Amino acid sequence: AHALSLKILAECSTTKARACHMTLPHSIVETPVFMPVGTQGTLKGLLPEQLEELDCKIMLGNTYHLGNRPGPELLEKAGGLHKFMNWNRSLLTDSGGFQMVSLLKLAEITEEGVKFQSPHDGSEMMLTPEKTIRWLDRCIKAHKRPHDQSIFPIVQGGLDPELRKKCAYELIKRDVNGYAIGGLSGGEEKQDFWRMVSLSTDILPDDKPRYLMGVGFAVDLVVCAALGCDMFDCVFPTRTARFGSALVPSGQLNLKSKIFSSDFRPIDDQCKCSTCKNYTRAYLHTIVTNETVACHLLSVHNVAYQLNLMKCVHDSIKEDKFPQFIKAFFIQQFPNKDFPQWAIDALDSVNVKLNVNTPDNGQSSVDLQIDYRQSKRKTNLQGPTKLACRALVMKQYKTALNHLLQIDEVKKELVNTVKKTINQEVNKVCSDKNSVLRSSNIARFSWKTVHKQLLNTCPTTVTS
Amino acid sequence: MKFSVQNVKNGCRLGLITDLGKNGTKSIETPMCMLYTRGGNAPHLTLDVLKKIQRVPPMAHMYLSSLAEHSEAVTQFKEGIAHFCGMQDFAVYCSLHDPATEVPSGYNEKSGTAIWTKGGKYKLDVNHFMQIQEAFQPDICEALYDGDTNKDSTRKRLLKAMDRTLNYLDEIQDKWKSSQKLQKTALFGVIEGGFSVQERQKSAHETVTRNVDGFVLAGFHNNGPKTEMFDLSQVTEICQKTMECLPENKPRLMQNAWRPDKVMEGIALGIDMFDSSYPYIVTERGCGLVFKFNVCASPEEQKGNGDHLLGFQINLADKKYVDDFGPLLEGCTCYACQNFTRSYINHLLNTSELLSSVLLMIHNFHHYFVFFLFQPQLILNSSIRFLFQTISLFCIQDGRIL
Ligand SMILES: [Zn+2]
Ligand SMILES: [Zn+2]
Repeated sequence: AHALSLKILAECSTTKARACHMTLPHSIVETPVFMPVGTQGTLKGLLPEQLEELDCKIMLGNTYHLGNRPGPELLEKAGGLHKFMNWNRSLLTDSGGFQMVSLLKLAEITEEGVKFQSPHDGSEMMLTPEKTIRWLDRCIKAHKRPHDQSIFPIVQGGLDPELRKKCAYELIKRDVNGYAIGGLSGGEEKQDFWRMVSLSTDILPDDKPRYLMGVGFAVDLVVCAALGCDMFDCVFPTRTARFGSALVPSGQLNLKSKIFSSDFRPIDDQCKCSTCKNYTRAYLHTIVTNETVACHLLSVHNVAYQLNLMKCVHDSIKEDKFPQFIKAFFIQQFPNKDFPQWAIDALDSVNVKLNVNTPDNGQSSVDLQIDYRQSKRKTNLQGPTKLACRALVMKQYKTALNHLLQIDEVKKELVNTVKKTINQEVNKVCSDKNSVLRSSNIARFSWKTVHKQLLNTCPTTVTS
Repeated sequence: MKFSVQNVKNGCRLGLITDLGKNGTKSIETPMCMLYTRGGNAPHLTLDVLKKIQRVPPMAHMYLSSLAEHSEAVTQFKEGIAHFCGMQDFAVYCSLHDPATEVPSGYNEKSGTAIWTKGGKYKLDVNHFMQIQEAFQPDICEALYDGDTNKDSTRKRLLKAMDRTLNYLDEIQDKWKSSQKLQKTALFGVIEGGFSVQERQKSAHETVTRNVDGFVLAGFHNNGPKTEMFDLSQVTEICQKTMECLPENKPRLMQNAWRPDKVMEGIALGIDMFDSSYPYIVTERGCGLVFKFNVCASPEEQKGNGDHLLGFQINLADKKYVDDFGPLLEGCTCYACQNFTRSYINHLLNTSELLSSVLLMIHNFHHYFVFFLFQPQLILNSSIRFLFQTISLFCIQDGRIL
């Protein structure tokens, strides 16, 4: 048995989002998923059982920290991290190599890679794609427990698209269980951030989970789910709890503020967490930042909020109503429609137009370009790289099809037939556990058939 | 609220508080301890976690020093302090001061008493006190008092404290009669007199004539963690003489960081109601209670403990627990001991993780509450004297002064 299997339940017909079941040895996880961060073998004052009550299926444990305290020897003696912290569900840990990203100040990007500064001794280190890949190869070689542990290598490369692409293409050659997108939570410009995420998800294969590291603001979660990310982690909900801040659909409530002193509503009357069931804003106002119990109460609620947000994303993808969900979500967060430009652009890249009030009316000349020159040009490439290029093309077909649907309602049936063909092929690849990039299932995928069908569907709008 | 003594043995009273709570439906056996709270909630424990402790006392101990600042909001809320804090399942005893925080000396006046809130000194006169109590609507209310006396107080100071306290009580009772909202709230009078038998007895007599529902013995010290070391034996006679003046059918309460041996001394003196600030103080120093009611921690386990520990507790931050995968206390049925190890708590303490306090608080509360539930058995079996001696002997043997 594999330590991880991903079943795609539904793909959003507009964006790159997908709803999956990720089966792990300790639990089945619905994706897109938010994973709370238990830095030192504990989630900021919450009992593991409280997390279970919130229906949390997977959390993050930081071996970078655990590496020092309590240390790998003690963990081994204790019978593993699960047993040590009494958490029976899934646990995602990191392995030092990339954790630098969230701990280090991003120093500078050079031709060779990204230069980081160590928080411990101030020394500089270079995180090059080569380094990551060497590290990965070592990991795979040393991987002792392929049946109950998964390895996710990290797509690095800072904000340099070429470095990142290079890294991603190298990584997808390796037989791993999923991919992490790293090096993107260090305060870079959001416009650069989303492009790097989107570039990474375009390259990464569909049948493996994609984990966007260190991302956890509600807006980022929704946008990046639309860009095709499946897993997220962030200390934000528990950290902000410490400062008396509660997450709500409209943003955040700073419960320290005097305006809550006689507000006898729960934090969120729609929320089903124990904090919202038992306490009012007015009461929380009296204890925030005075009593540790207030941190715990807000952490419970904030984690519940993140988990519920992702559940709503998952459900809406399954119902193929994700674009509507995105729009409703953004209106709640930005009632004045002052959406951040990066979010507008990012969502626009996956066909969700935040600022468009009138729907496209059909006859306009949408320029559809299916860029499979990339695959042609690189036909001399071998094995997985070639496959990945083909996968990229397949995605572009799907995007094109969605455009077609928007333009010509009449052709809906035909378009759906084509989509069905593509989906069948994709599912065939995905359901074959041994295939993925090693076998040549994608290569055997009959592009000509699809392309022909597509041309028949809408011959005038597709150019190649 | 009603109280009746069911049994007396060797001076220890077994009693029953009934008709407690807004609906008069709660009852509780004495000797009892109340659930210590901070800001109206069990320290470190959210309500759902508190529910994981079996045998939580049905009465919560709240105090004005942490809640008075919010009385305006509670007034607007209208349902009382228990409900405001989400603690509506509990009866509430409301005192002036936090037993676990030392009260600065020298700020009380004729017109009122100073309590110390987060915002600093907070003057409380009778009018203000009544306004707050009307908003809070506790089940038992401790009357306003001046208890700023100790062993070294002059007679003049003792008289002042006594007079003020009685004056406050008179004023309070006068206003109490016309308060609709407080008709179901019991009022406890506070007995002053420091370390003087004479003044104590006078204060007791005067308070008894006021026809209050119960009595609080204050004025021995200024609260805080130091009271863990308060030597009850130096006031044994004073307490005995005071108790003689009090009617049988009313409960008696004293605030202190009640160490287990002191609890038994207190019970033998005729005290019925205790607070549970002690397990909180123990939790705050990273320790777990391990006293076994008649056997203390082994001398081996005590090594490395501070001077104040006296064998009732072990310090989980100690290196020797790093790879100790046993529970905090072998055989303990609490949630923390059932699910976590000494090694894990040690790790949490050494990394300053908040969960350490949560787990220690769960165990320490559980252990302390079970200890209290065990008291009737001890009293009826006359074993309390024996038990008390065992603990005393043990501690003296260990070379420390009790
Ligand atoms: Zn909530
Ligand atoms: Zn225990």
